[in-house]
Parts: sequence; C-alpha cells; structure tokens
Amino acid sequence: MVEETFRSRFRTEVDGSDAPPGADYHMFIGPQHPWCEEPAHFIIHLKGERVVEANIRIGFNFRGMEKAMEARTWRQNTMLIPRACGICSAVHQNIYVRVVERLAGIEDQISERARLIRMFSCEAERIHSHMLWYGILAHDAGFDTMLHISWRDREIIMDIVEDLSGNRVNPALMLPGGVKRDIPKEKADRTRPKINDLIKKVEYHKKVFVEEASIRNRLEDVGVLTKDDAKKTTPNGPTGRASGLPFDVRKASPYELYDQLDWNLVYYTEGDILATTLVRLDETLESLRMCNQILDKLETAEGELLARVRPRIPAGEYFGRGEAPRGEDVHYGIANGTDKPERYKIRAPSLGNIDATLKRMDGEYIADMPVVLRSYDPCFSCTNRVMIVNDTTGEKLIIGQDEFAHKAIKAKKYNRPFF
Amino acid sequence: MSNELKELEDILKITFSKDLVKEVKKVEEGHFDILTTPDKAYDLMKILTEEAGIYHLSTVTAVEREKEFNVFYHIQHRIEEEFREVPINFIVTGINKDKPKTPSLLDFFVAADYYERECYDFFGIYFENHPFMQRLILPEKWPDDVRPMLKEYGWEELKEITLGIAKQISEND
Amino acid sequence: MKKILVMTGEVLKNQAKGPVTKHVLKRLEENPAPEDIRTIPIIIEDRCILCGTCVAVCPTHCLEMEKDDKDNGMIIMHTPQCMWCGHCQTYCPKDAIHIDRNPATSVLFSYNVRQDYSILTAKGSFKGEKADKKIEEKVAKGGKKLEELEKFRSGK
Ligand code: SF4
Ligand code: SF4
Repeated sequence: MVEETFRSRFRTEVDGSDAPPGADYHMFIGPQHPWCEEPAHFIIHLKGERVVEANIRIGFNFRGMEKAMEARTWRQNTMLIPRACGICSAVHQNIYVRVVERLAGIEDQISERARLIRMFSCEAERIHSHMLWYGILAHDAGFDTMLHISWRDREIIMDIVEDLSGNRVNPALMLPGGVKRDIPKEKADRTRPKINDLIKKVEYHKKVFVEEASIRNRLEDVGVLTKDDAKKTTPNGPTGRASGLPFDVRKASPYELYDQLDWNLVYYTEGDILATTLVRLDETLESLRMCNQILDKLETAEGELLARVRPRIPAGEYFGRGEAPRGEDVHYGIANGTDKPERYKIRAPSLGNIDATLKRMDGEYIADMPVVLRSYDPCFSCTNRVMIVNDTTGEKLIIGQDEFAHKAIKAKKYNRPFF
Repeated sequence: MSNELKELEDILKITFSKDLVKEVKKVEEGHFDILTTPDKAYDLMKILTEEAGIYHLSTVTAVEREKEFNVFYHIQHRIEEEFREVPINFIVTGINKDKPKTPSLLDFFVAADYYERECYDFFGIYFENHPFMQRLILPEKWPDDVRPMLKEYGWEELKEITLGIAKQISEND
Repeated sequence: MKKILVMTGEVLKNQAKGPVTKHVLKRLEENPAPEDIRTIPIIIEDRCILCGTCVAVCPTHCLEMEKDDKDNGMIIMHTPQCMWCGHCQTYCPKDAIHIDRNPATSVLFSYNVRQDYSILTAKGSFKGEKADKKIEEKVAKGGKKLEELEKFRSGK
C-alpha cells in the first residue's frame, strides 16, 4: 500500500488551496521562464529557504500526436514519430519500426547490417544527449566553463551523425524493414579516430566532475532519492539507475543486437545528483565503446539494407520498449489490417521521471532547485544552428537564431531575398 | 489450466485463484498479457503487487474497441539479480461504453495517478475511488463532453474546437 | 601550484589565438557540409514516369501532381513545408527523385514568395508556359500558408 505522504505531484489546484501547511512562500516557475526551456509550470512551496513540497502542471505543449497518427498511413508515421522528441528522435523511430515489423511479421528478415546501423544511430544519440545534458547541468550549477567544454566536444559526435545521416539532430535513418542509408567503409574509417578522440575527452569531463571541488560540492548529497522512494515513484532510466534500480531495457529485454555486444550496465546506489551525473558520464563512455564495436562488426556484416514491407499491416497489437537517453520509452501499437494504425500510444520517459524528481526536492534548499529539476533531463530541442548558402554566389554564412529571425522578418517585410 | 498461466506463475512465484484471471496470453519469450474484468482488477493487482512484488508501472493505455473500452496497465516484474524485466500487460476488458467505469489502481502505484487521469482526459473513462479525478493535459476551456481520442471525433472537428478556443481567448484579451 | 601554471599557460595561449569566432567563415570552407547532406528533393526528369508514389507517401503533403498521361504532367512542391525526410526517394520505383545530390539547395527557408512553390519537374505539354502559369496562380492566392491564415482570421 502506498502511504498517504506519497501523493503524486501532478495534483495542483489553480487557486492554490492545496498548499501544504507550514509553507510561507510559494514560487511559480514557468510555463515561460528563462531557466526552463520546457513549457512546464512548477509550483514550489517554501518554508524559509527550504522546500516543503514541489508540484507541477503540464499540458502547455500538447500537440495531439497520437490522434494525428491515426489519420496518417504507417509509412508517413515513420517520419512523424521522431518528432515526438527533439533529441531522442532515433530511439522513438527505432521502437516504432520494431513494432511495425513485429505486426507485419517480418522480424526475421531484417539483416544484421541494418540492425547494426540502427544501433549505431541510437548510441550516437545517447552520447550527444548525455553530453548536452551534463553541459547544461554544469551551467545550472554556475560552472559555465564545463558547459563550453562539453558542448565544444559534443560537436565531434554531431559531425559524425551529420556525416552518416545527413542531418545533425534528427538522423531519421530507420524504416520498417531496415535502414535508409548505409555506413560505407570510408565513412567508418573517418569515424573511428573521432570516436577515440571523444573517449579521451569524455574521460577528462568525468575527471572534472569527480575531482573539481566547486562542481562536486554543488552536486554531492543534494536531492537524494533513496531506493525505497525510487521504488514508489517509479523513475526509469538514469534517474532510477542512480538510486540503485539497475534496469536498462537494453539489458533487461535486449532488442536489436544489444546482447551480442560487450558492455556493462552502469548503476550507482547513492541517489544524489552526482550519482545521476556519473551514471550518464559512464554511459557515454560505454556507448562510445559500443560504437567502436559496432563499426568493427560492420566490416563483416552482410545483408540487404531494406526488406520489403507492404503498406497494409495485418491486424494485431504489440507493446514495444526501448532505452532512450532519458529512460524507458514505451510504445503500444494496434493495427487493424488497413494502411493506417487503429491506435498508437507513446509514453516518453520524462513523464515517468517527474514524480521522482519532485520527491528529491523535499527539504532541499531553494538554491539547489535548478540542479535538482535539471537532473531528470527535461528535453528540449537544440536545432539552433542555421546555415544559409547563397545559391548564386556560393557564399556561406552561419548565423544565430536571433539574427536569423531578424533577417527573415526583414526579408518578408520588404519582399526580397534573404541575402 | 493453460500452459501460459503456469509459466507466468512460475516466473512470479505465486498462484492465482482461478476466477480472478480471465485469460493469460504469451506475446513472446518473457512477455505476457493478463486479461481480467473491472470487478476483479483490484483484487488481482493486489496479488501481483503484494505477493509477487511488482512495483513498476510503465504507463496506462486506454483503447476504444467496437463494443467496449480496454485499459492496459503496462507493468514490469523486475528480477534484480539478473537485471531482467518481465513486461506484463495487465488488461482490464469489458468496460461499458455508455458509462465507462473501472476501479482506480492508484493504491498500488503512485504513477497511476497521472496516467489514469490522462485516460480520463482523452477517453472519458472514469476511475472509481481516485481522489483527484481531474483533467491533466487538455486546456481549461476545453468543452467537458468532448473526449478527443474517441473515434467519433475527426481531425477537422477537433481543429474547429481548438481554433474556437483560440479565437475566444484572443477576443477576450 | 601546478594547476595554476597550467591555467596560466591556457590563458596565454587563448590570448594569442584571439577569438574563435573570427575564423568562422574560414573554418566553414575547411569543413564543408557532407556530400550527401539532406536537402529539398530534385527530380531527374528523364527517369520520372509520373506515377505519383512520391506524392502519396510524402508525410507533409508538400508535393502536388498534375498529369494527362505518363509523358505530360508536372510535379510542384511547396518548398518550406518539406522536411527533407527522404520518403519520396525511398519509395520512388524509378530512383528518379533525390534529396542528397545538391548541397547548394540546402536553403532552409526562402521568404521570397515567388519561391514558395517550385517546379520539380514539368514534362511534355506541361513544360514552360503551363507550369509557370500554375505557379503564378498559386502565388497569386498567396501560397498555402496565407490561405490558411486568411481562413482563420475570417473565422470560417
Ligand atoms: S519521382 Fe519517382 S515516385 Fe515521383 S512520380 Fe516520378 S517516378 Fe513516381
Ligand atoms: S523529402 Fe519528405 S517532406 Fe520532402 S518532398 Fe520528399 S517525402 Fe515530402
């Protein structure tokens, strides 16, 4: 039985009548706030400097994707599904194509090569997502140097992804039946030294987080989530693994070819923010090593890249799971024999982690709020880079978002081309 | 007694009393469906959580069938020594379409709170004994009787409602 | 002490190098975009048989086709709506449409109204005048986006 004290943090009354007794200040963060790019509304009840209870309201960025999927064909949905999340797009697509393959009954026709390329895409995504995250965490803790260092090094993996898939953030390599693009030998050879380089850099990042006192003191013993609390609030992914719940879908029920690779499950038992950070840092290293293994395997792996899938999917239902950078990602698909899904349910990992994260806040200082709330990795999209090529002169120019918007408005206003 | 039920009982190390479970299906190796009805769901989940020690709820899915609603509780049986999970789809079948009602399983999982409210929001399924059965995601001005995930509402209709709300707000400002 | 020395070294090095950003244009030339970067699609005209598969599979509905038979017809595209997903390339039976052949077309948005629509291919009798006229018609209406905006403002 769940005790009364463990009520969910999603219950907030609009008029504030649910404030806990003893709280004398109430802080409202969001839906629009410079700290938090995500549109969520946090309500934090304080007594003095200490947090009594933190609550949340969600629903400010509702896009109706599940309904939209019912109106599109299975083929078109392959490109809608990665848009569920800005940064873990590959894993959403991976689960989707596995659900479709299972429903169509062509699971065994997928070649080893296609599976390896899918895995590479997923792991590369995990690396860049984690690197982005601990950069921002350092920024929230007031350690901006680390932000710049980790984001600078993140460009290496972004270049790899761009080279292999043609896109920087949204690789969109997968299709039901296989993958869209191959990783030819030249590209693999180009990629290997970059990955080895990155391994050294991430090891250095880990050293900074472990040894540098100014950041370590900010994270250690802050926002502890004990194992018992974790069991009750059902966090998943790195949030759970930092509190001693050693479950990773890649190990727990292996999909693709994860059982053929040699890798370790990372978990810590401390449950504080430093543990979540270290879980992600270690995982980044594991993923980088996995990438190397995948590239080695690709040299000998054979097979067709794309098996044929009919547009009509026979009736059936399947529950697919996968490990996104943020945790366990869950899809449930129902087909009815036509070329459109009957129902498709998506549960992205962050929703399951919010309760546990807000539980961490109890009794903490308000000054630790940014670090603790960042710890579950609220995801936001980082497609901030725009490259403009003048097609007559071939001149190139890279500008930021603001300047781009400025130029675009001007161009629209005076009805003239961009340059 | 079916083989699947036996296998699941071996994994969970418990025995179900026969009348609680309607059917057990095996989806693939180590992945099961348990079917039950609304009046027995609470007791069955009590056995699963208290005797078998299941504590993780992945999500709750509501599905509209031709004559009834189904509610899926996707739970995981976790074996910590082997780092292994056994996904189980706990399916509450036969929920009446005119007055959709099913017991809330909030007593066993904190997470059921918002997942169940999401189903209430989109399908209008009422979870009995839930202390805070309110909207989770849809906007405050959304009409109460419109449950957008039901098949009777098309894309165009929903678009009209949404635009109507937007217009109403912009006029009030 | 050692730390401080290292830090001083870094500072001096960075001082000498100057800001990184001033080299941006130069660095861009050194690191060009990959050969097969995703862009808006182009059609190889001789191969296309106007079967309409690309129009049917496009998730954003940005392609439009008009044809009399397999030699007379055209495909036009609402350029800003394309998300470079490459479905059209994957499912084309004749391998006629490509999103990765011409990095120079990776113009993200073009706010020039004339360019909101572009002709991907125009064959036979649709070549030249007819295709131009069609685009002109679309542009005169103000493009898809403006059309929808008008509809919203008028409250219909
Ligand atoms: S480009 Fe390919 S898919 Fe599109 S109409 Fe031509 S032949 Fe058909
Ligand atoms: S790349 Fe994708 S969005 Fe663009 S035209 Fe092709 S199918 Fe449509």
